[in-house]
Amino acid sequence: MEDLQNSTLKFFSDQELCNADIVPPAQVRARIEVSVLNFLKILNASNPAISNLPLIQRKYSNSRVIHGLLTELSRVFLSNSISTRSLMRPIAAKAFVRVWKAMEICYQILLQEKRVTQRELFYKLLCLSPDLFPSQTHVNRTIQDLVALLRCSRFSLGIMASSRGLISGRLTLQEPDKEVVDCSLCGSSGFPISGDLNLLERLVLHADARYVIIVEKHAIFQRLTEDRFFHQIPSILITAKGYPDMATRFLLYRISRAFPDLPILALVDWNPAGLAILCTFKFGSVGMGLEAYRYACNVKWLGLRGNDLPLLPDQSFVPLKPKDLQIAQSLMSSGILQDNYKDEAAVMIQKGRKAEIEALYFHGYDYLGKYIAKKIVQSDYV
Amino acid sequence: MEFSTVQELCLHLISSAYQRCRLSEQICRLAIILTRSSSSHPSLRISISDTGIGSCLEEFQNLRFSSTDVADNWDGMLSLKTTSNMPDQLFCLREMVLSCPHIILIGIRDTEIHSYQINLKGSGSSRITRLPSNTKNGAKFSGSEAYLSSFVSRDLLLADIHTFIQKNIAIQLVAEDCDVPESRYEKVFLSNECKQSPVSASNLELLKSGIEDYVVKHGNNLSNKCNTCFPSWEQLKVGVGVACCTDNRLHTELVMEAVILISNVSTQNITCFREYDNKTEVLYFEDFSPCTISRSSMKTLESIDWKTYGLNLRGAVEQDGVTLLEWENLPTDTHIDVVLHIYHKQYPALDRSFLSLSETVKSTVIPAPRKMSPLARNLVKRAVKLALDDLKANHSQAFLSSRALQIRGYAPDLAKTIAGLILSSSDLDFQGECFSLLGLQSQEVGTEIVESCIEERIVSVIEMNDKKPHNYQQVAPYLFEELENPVQDSEFQENDFGPFDF
Repeated sequence: MEDLQNSTLKFFSDQELCNADIVPPAQVRARIEVSVLNFLKILNASNPAISNLPLIQRKYSNSRVIHGLLTELSRVFLSNSISTRSLMRPIAAKAFVRVWKAMEICYQILLQEKRVTQRELFYKLLCLSPDLFPSQTHVNRTIQDLVALLRCSRFSLGIMASSRGLISGRLTLQEPDKEVVDCSLCGSSGFPISGDLNLLERLVLHADARYVIIVEKHAIFQRLTEDRFFHQIPSILITAKGYPDMATRFLLYRISRAFPDLPILALVDWNPAGLAILCTFKFGSVGMGLEAYRYACNVKWLGLRGNDLPLLPDQSFVPLKPKDLQIAQSLMSSGILQDNYKDEAAVMIQKGRKAEIEALYFHGYDYLGKYIAKKIVQSDYV
Repeated sequence: MEFSTVQELCLHLISSAYQRCRLSEQICRLAIILTRSSSSHPSLRISISDTGIGSCLEEFQNLRFSSTDVADNWDGMLSLKTTSNMPDQLFCLREMVLSCPHIILIGIRDTEIHSYQINLKGSGSSRITRLPSNTKNGAKFSGSEAYLSSFVSRDLLLADIHTFIQKNIAIQLVAEDCDVPESRYEKVFLSNECKQSPVSASNLELLKSGIEDYVVKHGNNLSNKCNTCFPSWEQLKVGVGVACCTDNRLHTELVMEAVILISNVSTQNITCFREYDNKTEVLYFEDFSPCTISRSSMKTLESIDWKTYGLNLRGAVEQDGVTLLEWENLPTDTHIDVVLHIYHKQYPALDRSFLSLSETVKSTVIPAPRKMSPLARNLVKRAVKLALDDLKANHSQAFLSSRALQIRGYAPDLAKTIAGLILSSSDLDFQGECFSLLGLQSQEVGTEIVESCIEERIVSVIEMNDKKPHNYQQVAPYLFEELENPVQDSEFQENDFGPFDF
């Protein structure tokens, strides 16, 4: 199965699609050194110049969805449209210097064979160059620029994004030579997912679940975990507490590889943001389009969907905000959505309203479990 | 010098009086008194007196007054009292072809006050009439008073004088109407608040300070520095140059001083009116008097190799009697001002604040441009070039557009980062290769040397790039050349994507 996956990937891995490689630290350092040498060569040439940085554009206009031929897997890839970052444009000059600064820091991190979180990096850069990096967002974006420049994954650069993910259910995890962790015994909070992709890579997984359920929200995850839902329906529950981070997606991906027969079902709010979260787990993202495609999984939409709306009281519907509409429009025009998802998004826009999963509590606190169970049994997922 | 209105003549008399005060090197008083008499002829008596060195007739010999006005409001008679030592000049007077209205000159051989009456409208040797002199009665003083009566409007004249007055000496301006009690208008102008020059400052320093003052006041349209355009003096980049030669004919040394001022003003300030847009106003002074630049000097300016300083001169034009230099592709936020001053070295140092006169002077004084000798032409070229070199030496950023200046601001950071990358490496081959690209010997490098070396090169690229017109600006190569098909370049946008941006 692994080979099939790999060959499928190679099949549509043509020149037009760009990706960031997962490379060992020495190779990343080598790429950085080449960057410096090129810069100096061009700076000291007979016709000297300050070289421009070619950055793969991370915009949906540069993205493409490739639907798997042999598998049901579809992924979002980035094509090779380049954004030129130049020092010579005053507006972009700062961002230009930022990329080099980030390169310097990463180089040093890799030399020391360390790994830092984006947060730690922010504080380091805040001390060194406060005018270049006034906020965490600047750091995060610059890291993505660096990924787009050097074409190596963020993790390869020595940067970890701290994970927000939690996992519970009929799954055991074991780091080599360490004790086994039983995710069904973790209490109502579940087991926190590490941000260290290497660690996650090494985990030995065992499960006797029949389903994997992605839960958008922390509160719902907690309710289900506390109620030991995963014993009623043998399942694994996983959440990223909102928009999915790389580590959570990676673990999900590993589980999907380790237990390929387990359907992966998503439980999200009925709103454009919920759909977007589902799509990210399913296809990847444009923002981290050079890497995110790797962890695309065949996720099915369990609920809330259009056909569940009659279950909800009228009062639970609230109007869509402009941001919601923006997300919906973005999804619609992205070319990612399959037809039935598109229809759902269209209904959301047309109705102009949204609803949360919690609305189901109207029918009682244990209704949620029953609702999920019923849907699973009826294979009511798309 | 020809005048067509009484106002012009008055301003010239004030100017001369001022110069005499300057030459005196002492604190002087210049009084301008306008009195409307209550007699049957309600004419305005205009008196301009000073306590500077005495006048000499030569000052008045070239004055002409021609009025095309049928209702002539002045008979052309000018009275003058002065304490100067006159006899020799009086002799010369007879020989001179005079075509000026009457001026009364009063000279004294230290003990007398000479009086003269000069007819500025007349001609011939009868122009100047010498009147009986008065004794000083043992007192020691010097000064002059020129006065005339005219039917010119008091208020108009007052307004003209007001705008003309400079502020480096105490000046008393009095206007009085005898008919109307309490019509006495008096104003005393004291020292310049804007920028004080030390008394001992050289001619050149004063010229420099004068033009700075002139520029920050938008050509003396304001009474104080324009703080919107010039929040700090550092925005002005000044270069000075002096060239001299001996004029064997006149047995003096001819000195040419040039000051070039470059200022970068944000183009956001559209409220501040720039009279000549982006053209350079060339102020010209000859022997401490404002003057129109001669054709040959203009041609000399055009012939200077401005290109070596990154400036492209389109040409020199004349507009409303003002010489302007037009530039090609000068960044809109950059302004250049030029002042040239040629003089004979025998004159003692003058306070150059009279530069503040130049704006109004140009509109009223129309002196005959002197023929510039070839010597002087060469001086223009040398002095201007020296000023440009001075600018370049002291303000390497003087010729940069503000865009380039902004970018240049990032050079130290970028250099530091690249140096950091090189020096933190554990790969000696890599370091060695970097050093050789930079032209540095591996052994002798410290962090600072590497940083400054890289910074120097980055800055030179920025500066070089800035010199080229925008459409020719170099498209820099990419860091990685092996890109197969870079599909499109796009503009940088700060908000490229968000988490939900599909």
